[in-house]
Amino acid sequence: MLLLENIKLAISAIKANKMRSFLTMLGIIIGISSVIAISSIGASAQGAVSKEFESFGGGYMYLSVNWQQTEEVTQDMLFSVDDIDALKARFPEALRYTAPYAYAKSDVKVGRTEAELSIMGVAADYNKFSTNIDILHGRMINKRDVEGARDNVVIPREAADKLFGKEDVIGETIAATIMGNPVDLTVVGVYQIPASIFTQLDTSSSYSCYMPYSAISRSDELFSYIEIFADDNKSIEEQGNAFASYMQRYKDVPENTYTYESAEQQLSQINTVLGYLSLAIGAIAAISLLVGGIGIMNIMLVSVTERTREIGIRKSLGARTNDILTQFLIEAMILAVIGGALGTAIGIGIAAIGATLVGVDIVLNISSILIAVVFSAAVGLFFGLFPARKAAKMDPIEALRYE
Amino acid sequence: MKELIKMQGLEKMYVNGDIEVHALKDINLVVNAGEFISIMGPSGSGKSTLMNILGCLDRPSQGRYFLEDIDISEQSDNELSFIRNQKIGFVFQSFNLIPRTNALKNVELPMVYGKIPTAQRNARALALLENVGLADRYMHMPNELSGGQKQRVAIARALANNPPIILADEPTGNLDSKSSVEIMQIFTKLNREKGTTVIIVTHEPDIAEFTDRIISFKDGIVVEDRLTEVGKAPKKEAY
Repeated sequence: MLLLENIKLAISAIKANKMRSFLTMLGIIIGISSVIAISSIGASAQGAVSKEFESFGGGYMYLSVNWQQTEEVTQDMLFSVDDIDALKARFPEALRYTAPYAYAKSDVKVGRTEAELSIMGVAADYNKFSTNIDILHGRMINKRDVEGARDNVVIPREAADKLFGKEDVIGETIAATIMGNPVDLTVVGVYQIPASIFTQLDTSSSYSCYMPYSAISRSDELFSYIEIFADDNKSIEEQGNAFASYMQRYKDVPENTYTYESAEQQLSQINTVLGYLSLAIGAIAAISLLVGGIGIMNIMLVSVTERTREIGIRKSLGARTNDILTQFLIEAMILAVIGGALGTAIGIGIAAIGATLVGVDIVLNISSILIAVVFSAAVGLFFGLFPARKAAKMDPIEALRYE
Repeated sequence: MKELIKMQGLEKMYVNGDIEVHALKDINLVVNAGEFISIMGPSGSGKSTLMNILGCLDRPSQGRYFLEDIDISEQSDNELSFIRNQKIGFVFQSFNLIPRTNALKNVELPMVYGKIPTAQRNARALALLENVGLADRYMHMPNELSGGQKQRVAIARALANNPPIILADEPTGNLDSKSSVEIMQIFTKLNREKGTTVIIVTHEPDIAEFTDRIISFKDGIVVEDRLTEVGKAPKKEAY
């Protein structure tokens, strides 16, 4: 029998039992919508995270002591300012920015307003490499600040608002405590962070500020991390390894003492974790699809029994076994595909709402939508087969006699 | 005259639990093209079994059944479906229209299985409904039709592929006497004007009297095979 005829038949059969058909589809709807929603949210999150890591600026990495591989970390393994200068001298082209990792935290008070500052030590022109900083007023920490170890600070707009009640606070001073010493910090710049997924997730109450690394560390301080912006046109991996092995030779320490960690590596780690997460939730969703399929099989069995007489009539009028088989298979598949389509729509809706709430761009995983729809048709086919065979194999005489 | 149906030593046995039922015993029967026959007999006489075999819904246990020289005993299920579709029009006691499907679609159904193109089968179904006086009811669902109307739709459906044989199983069983007469008149007209072979199973003698020949069954054998008053009249040879 013609396919179109069967499709019309199936739709009228589904319409005849709207409530029942809808409940039957519900399993598939839930299964498919969760697969779509989860895979889309996963893809959106991955997209957002990738964007975030790109925003660190190209070629970003840390060179550090390999804590996991080194049995005992001794003082001579740590980096001094001289070591960093030697590294810079060896790779003048590749090292676009180099600074030891220095960090300080301080409670500050302006008038009666208190705040907590997280201060990161930077070298000059940090904002030229990191794309995370938009200077609104004043300037970024410069070369003279670093060389003179000046107590200059660049603060975020929110901190300026909170402490001074205005944005342009260049030249104001903030009383802080750095390395146990009271220091008056002079504000030389106010910046804002471009909106991103992390700024929204950041619930910490402290403000991220920038100071010359030399101002928050002693001149003979030893550092365990070097922050680097390398040449982003070359392989991060090769450069990182080159830096690490040069430092090992230069400082005459065993192999594998140093390692590097790049934004790229972290991104791929996060992506791996997100991938596993999507996979795990996807597997659960697939189970709900299975349950949905069983629902379809169940209702198709009921439908076949209810329509035994109809099957008998059709056979007496010349329907072949295959005609009946196709009729019921198509009905099961249409149930599943309508469920799949509804589920896809709902899933996209959920993903869109989720993405809006988190504030990321929605990334639709087209392949997963295709797979979901094809899979739902396959579920219909698979779970429809048994009831359809039951219908097709009916003896016409018995079927006609059925009350 | 052309032999349409020929049964030779036909037997049908069922196994019903532990009991073997011998429903038909050594049936030898010839029906010529254009005959108008009723099959009578009490329930359990084997007439329904014979009807099922005549309608190619069932195969004989032994013996042969030729329909237009095709040996039905040797056909596969799919071939039997094709034969039912092309050669036989069924009319049932309980009408057996497909529910939730309008009159037109019901009449079209055998043509759907006969792979007639949509436009063609639409036109033919309408014409058939017109012939049974239901042209204005073609969009009606079966539950919107009276018993007599349903049976007329069923007759239109039986004629869809222009089969040589109409098999009617108690076609007036669920109808009042007025509708019964109307239905029998349709069958008579069909037989007289188109020469369609009509075989009716009935237990009502006055219905049987509409036909030309009555074959009576009892306990699986033919006990009587006679011409009715109508059948004896010479006008039979008109076509």
